[in-house]
Amino acid sequence: MDKITLRVTRSGGKRASYEVKYRKGMTVLDALTEVREKQDSTLGYRHSCRMGICGSCGMTIEGLPRLACQTQVSSLNTGTINIEPLHNMEVVKDLVVDILPFFDLHRSVKPYLIRTDLKERDQSDREYRVLTEEVEKFLQFDYCIMCGLCYAACPTAALDPFYTGPQAIAQAYRYMADPRDEGWEMRVNLLDTSHGVWRCHVAGACSFVCPKDVDPAKAIQLARTEILKKRILRKRPREGSKPVSPPVAGAAKEGVKPPPFDFGGARK
Amino acid sequence: MKRDQRYKAGIISSLIPSKFSVERWSYTVHRITGVIMVGYLMAHIFETFQLGGGSTAWANTMAALHSLGPMEMVGLWIVAGSALYHGGNGIRLVLNEAFGRLMGKPILPVYPYSPTSLGRNQKIAVWTITALVLALWVWAGVYLLAGIGVI
Amino acid sequence: MAQPTKEKEGSLMKESWNMVVTYVTAALLVFVLTFHLLLHSPLAGKAFEDTLAFGYATGNLVYYQVIFGVLLFTAVIHGFNGLRVIVVEWLHPTRLAWLLNVLVIALMAFFIAVGTVTLIVVG
Repeated sequence: MDKITLRVTRSGGKRASYEVKYRKGMTVLDALTEVREKQDSTLGYRHSCRMGICGSCGMTIEGLPRLACQTQVSSLNTGTINIEPLHNMEVVKDLVVDILPFFDLHRSVKPYLIRTDLKERDQSDREYRVLTEEVEKFLQFDYCIMCGLCYAACPTAALDPFYTGPQAIAQAYRYMADPRDEGWEMRVNLLDTSHGVWRCHVAGACSFVCPKDVDPAKAIQLARTEILKKRILRKRPREGSKPVSPPVAGAAKEGVKPPPFDFGGARK
Repeated sequence: MKRDQRYKAGIISSLIPSKFSVERWSYTVHRITGVIMVGYLMAHIFETFQLGGGSTAWANTMAALHSLGPMEMVGLWIVAGSALYHGGNGIRLVLNEAFGRLMGKPILPVYPYSPTSLGRNQKIAVWTITALVLALWVWAGVYLLAGIGVI
Repeated sequence: MAQPTKEKEGSLMKESWNMVVTYVTAALLVFVLTFHLLLHSPLAGKAFEDTLAFGYATGNLVYYQVIFGVLLFTAVIHGFNGLRVIVVEWLHPTRLAWLLNVLVIALMAFFIAVGTVTLIVVG
């Protein structure tokens, strides 16, 4: 194709069409940038890294929330590309949405390691050790770039503005699964509310659109099983692992190789 | 209540599955079938209440329902399909939600990404249930609609 | 505007217990509803019209009173709890959440009462 047409929903719901010359390898972000540079400098949209790591350029492209920098124009198989702001968020201007409430939801689940001994936390001379098999239980959920695509895709978030959201719940579970964290019971109580983890109905839209394969749907169901274990089986709160002294230099045996760094089950 | 100002938020948006995966479609169908069944449940409880009034009251109730013509059986067929789908999909959801099954284990993401929660096990469950439900629904349709000469 | 909400302390019960009730009633319903549908299926050995006869319907209610009692309770609780979830998501009441709970429980009680009267009178 020689040219593509971008139909962008601007502020106030108006649609504007822009024709752009197609180049091989062009992403939707490239096309928008060309529009802003050569045709309409008032077009508003967010972008930063252009390589799928910052999460700024999230928008609804052809009906699905996607990162504009990661969406090849050729992959859409259409000469006319419909671009809208992300759903479930207030529009600031054109394709720029108010992402602060989304960050507030994230903040509400206290997405950081919680330790009860503050002296140990602030004046520690030791390490928190985490075994490889323990890291495997939460590392996937650590890859979240907070792009907001999952929240935009979620049908419950579309209905309920108080819903914690797939991203926040996944991050809460990330810390629940971390052996260093001592806030397990607190997080269970945070999620076990009428607008918390129980409002997910496994639509899977969040995992479908996640650009980093964080798989929030899986994290949500794992969080639920943790909560049910606490409520029904009366499982006691897990204590965080204790810090240990770092290994003494030169203590490793000669000729002994460390075990391979392998996440069992990772796809080749 | 303050109007939700968020872009395209709302009931219509939450129900339209658009271009998402089959699990998102099953969420919509599960919700719609649930509402159909609750509506039918309320009517059915009042209908069966007439049994307490004796055979005359029951005959009058049946006559009133039969006056709807073929729509009575078509309606019952829709309710039967709703019950079958909601129950079958509900089993899958209980496995997902309460036991964390069919979701796969946490893994190290490797490009091209394919979330395990929407992976093979989940798809087998969804399509097996859908096929079973469709087969039973067709069977129910033959049973219900043959009696009134629709098929 | 999306925002986190604080669950009021002392609300009726933790949402997780609500969901346990939903799951348990769902599991029970699968069995008892299947049983109820089979009584009106070709496996009953009758045409569907004949399964609606007064004698057959009342006979079922008398003979399988316990099963129909369980069906009534589980269906009403599961169904109206589901409706409550839909209303919570759609209308997301904050100050009037208690009213929603009261309405749901009242509706559950009403329909269970009507169904129980039917079972007792027919029995």
